Amino acid sequence: MTRTAEQAKGRAGRLARLMPSGPSTAARTPFVLLVVLLLAGGLISLLLLNSALNEGSFRLSKLKRETTELTDEQQALQRDVDSYSEPDALERRARELGMVPGGSPAFLNPDGTVSGVPERATAQPSTPTALPAPEASVPVPTGQPSPPGPTFPSASPAPSDSPVTPSTAATTPAPTTTGR
Amino acid sequence: MPSKEPPRRRVPGPARSRNAAGGPGRARPAARAEDRRPRRPAAPAKRRGASPQAIRLGSPRPRLRLISLCLTLVMLAFVVRLLQVQAVDANAYTAKAEKNRYLEYTIAAERGEITDRSGISLATSVDAHDITADPKLFTPEDSKAPDAPQQAAALLAPILGKDEAELAKKLSTPKSRYTVLARRQTPQVWKQIKDLKSVFAEKAAEDRAKGGPGANVLAGVLQEPTTRRVYPNGNLAAGILGFVNAEGKGGGGLEAQLNKKLQGEDGKIRYAQAGGRPVPTAGSTEIPAVAGTDVELTIDRDIQWAAQRAIADQVEKSRADRGYVIVQNTRTGEVLAMANAPGYDPNDLAQSNSAALGNAALQDVYEPGSTSKVMSIAAVLEEGAATPDTHVTVPNRLHRGDRLFRDDVDHPTWYLTLNGVLAKSSNIGTILATGQLGKTQPEANKVLYSYLRKFGLGSTTGLDYPGESPGIVAKPQDWSTSQQYTIPFGQGLSLNAMQAASVYQTIANGGVRIEPTLVRGTKDAGGRYTASDAPKRTRVVSEKTAGTLAKMLESVVDDREGTGTKAHIQGYRVAGKTGTANRVDPVRGVYKGYTASFAGFAPADDPQVTVYCAIQNPTEGSYFGGQICGPIYKKVMEFALKTLQTPPSGKAPARLPVSFKPGE
Repeated sequence: MTRTAEQAKGRAGRLARLMPSGPSTAARTPFVLLVVLLLAGGLISLLLLNSALNEGSFRLSKLKRETTELTDEQQALQRDVDSYSEPDALERRARELGMVPGGSPAFLNPDGTVSGVPERATAQPSTPTALPAPEASVPVPTGQPSPPGPTFPSASPAPSDSPVTPSTAATTPAPTTTGR
Repeated sequence: MPSKEPPRRRVPGPARSRNAAGGPGRARPAARAEDRRPRRPAAPAKRRGASPQAIRLGSPRPRLRLISLCLTLVMLAFVVRLLQVQAVDANAYTAKAEKNRYLEYTIAAERGEITDRSGISLATSVDAHDITADPKLFTPEDSKAPDAPQQAAALLAPILGKDEAELAKKLSTPKSRYTVLARRQTPQVWKQIKDLKSVFAEKAAEDRAKGGPGANVLAGVLQEPTTRRVYPNGNLAAGILGFVNAEGKGGGGLEAQLNKKLQGEDGKIRYAQAGGRPVPTAGSTEIPAVAGTDVELTIDRDIQWAAQRAIADQVEKSRADRGYVIVQNTRTGEVLAMANAPGYDPNDLAQSNSAALGNAALQDVYEPGSTSKVMSIAAVLEEGAATPDTHVTVPNRLHRGDRLFRDDVDHPTWYLTLNGVLAKSSNIGTILATGQLGKTQPEANKVLYSYLRKFGLGSTTGLDYPGESPGIVAKPQDWSTSQQYTIPFGQGLSLNAMQAASVYQTIANGGVRIEPTLVRGTKDAGGRYTASDAPKRTRVVSEKTAGTLAKMLESVVDDREGTGTKAHIQGYRVAGKTGTANRVDPVRGVYKGYTASFAGFAPADDPQVTVYCAIQNPTEGSYFGGQICGPIYKKVMEFALKTLQTPPSGKAPARLPVSFKPGE
């Protein structure tokens, strides 16, 4: 009995010791304010952080969608371009415009001479070889309009690519051609 | 027994006295405790009357011990389990957790592009969608419409370009949750379906709001992203490029040969997820995909087109089995065009004839016929056994071994020069000329064989193309009696079209054979361009021999009596050789039909381009190489000369004599 009383007394005493002694209300207010402020600040910054992250993810998905759309569009346009620049399509279009494939190539040199034998492009598009074939059986060696020397001064010294490049830069293919 | 009773009665006594002595409040709990204890056992005792022993109080100790033992055991179990989870099996559980916590995706690497020599795309990859469906969502219970599959099929059929009944059947597959409606559709197709879906979803929502069943027949249509290989030029160069199979790997041609380079390396992305969404603060690891290497071919798209068009037209006109055209840059060995007919459209393999898949120009082997006479004559010239002016008297028939040989036409005895033998493509003349290669026939055979091998016959061309065939050239000791006389004019041995073109490239390039190349260079994901290794060069015949041969080949095209006059190009010096071979039927293995061919180069005095053309088994019209392949050669050569802007040399042709008067 006495023991329990003592115990109770001891507990209360200990508890009492924990309580601030005396009326110290003046020091408590800023502390409470600080805690409230910290809590509120933390909550608000968490909210801001979250919304920033969400906003970022919204923007990310929007930009991703945009990229996909633009890629799709680019690929669709590329497909259209390809279908127009396909050789078959180009040929069809050229024929619609009244062009026909040219025969043997001829070159106009800078000095006004012509190398090769220019000929009129045949209008029959389906049989371009029908007309030149009989001519070919009769070889015409005097096809060159000018002697070979002045026509190609640079062709004889070196048989490599070098003489071709300057001459091709200056000359133009005379007949209408589907080549590049 | 009675002696034990008094203590029981005595117990309450002191309690009461204690109660009275102590304070009324403080002592109460103790008193109650004292009260309770005796009363409980007392009640049964009273009832039973004669069992006072049962009221004996148990000591609290064993009970406490038991409880603490139980608690210890439980705690021990917890500890053991904790250890097991945290220490022993920790890794397994971490892995399990990770698996659920992290999402992992494969980022598909973009397959490299294949372009022609000027960078025009020949094969490229684009985004695509597999249109799939969940048939369960089309059942009457789920879709709330009795004929949802039929309705959906009617809507989807025009968009997907498929048969309506087939789609309806797929959509009504019982007990299935996945079916593929159409593979590799463009994003535009999926967008159309998506728009339709959203329209139907809105309608269904409205209907449901009004209290209707809210039927949505398109709810079960889904998509999976994938990529599609696109060949923008359709069947152009399809034989070379090959195709890509359903798994996105190269299934044939260069796509298969260069698959490793083209496919790149798939990447991976891994991030922590919560409810399927990435957790932003938890880090994610990403291994970016390495895009495949772009490959630049030596092919020129325009020349390829011209070659393909020319051969396809002629194969159709002649009702032939097959045809090939090869255009090669004489100086570099680069293949400018390699065309097969009939071809196929790699964009639509399902509609293609499986026999046309592949690259016949490298995979077919056949007896070349007269076009291979140029190798025999090269050997004769190189060995000094004859000159272009050497007189050869060609009888109408020649008996050699067990056979009687003849030329393609019956003729009175011809008095030809060696040049004339080539120009008129005389088999007998070639047999007579190659007989001079050695003192005895076996020796001559050995010499000829060594030249054939040096020209690249009997070994692959060096392109490493999948399925390429090296052809068949038997060893000279294995040559049969007739073979040793037929091989000089191109029967009894076989080669592929590329090897044949390479023979003419060798002569055009002054006797130096350059291994043909198809790949010009590669461009890796970083945009770094790497040119292909320089091809191997081997000298086969001397420059003088090659020059002489070029002049002789001019007679074939130029001379009135030549077999290749149809290949003449106005203003240019053209060298060429016709070939009309007896063809071995690939099915029955007997000679049946013909192989027409034409090979040559231009300009003859400064060769730039080599063109080879062959047509297998022409059945309608002429079957002579000069007649059907000559015009193709001319057409393709003209186009190539224009495209490469090669001017005529302007020099007069050599005009070597073809025949001699017997008296001279």
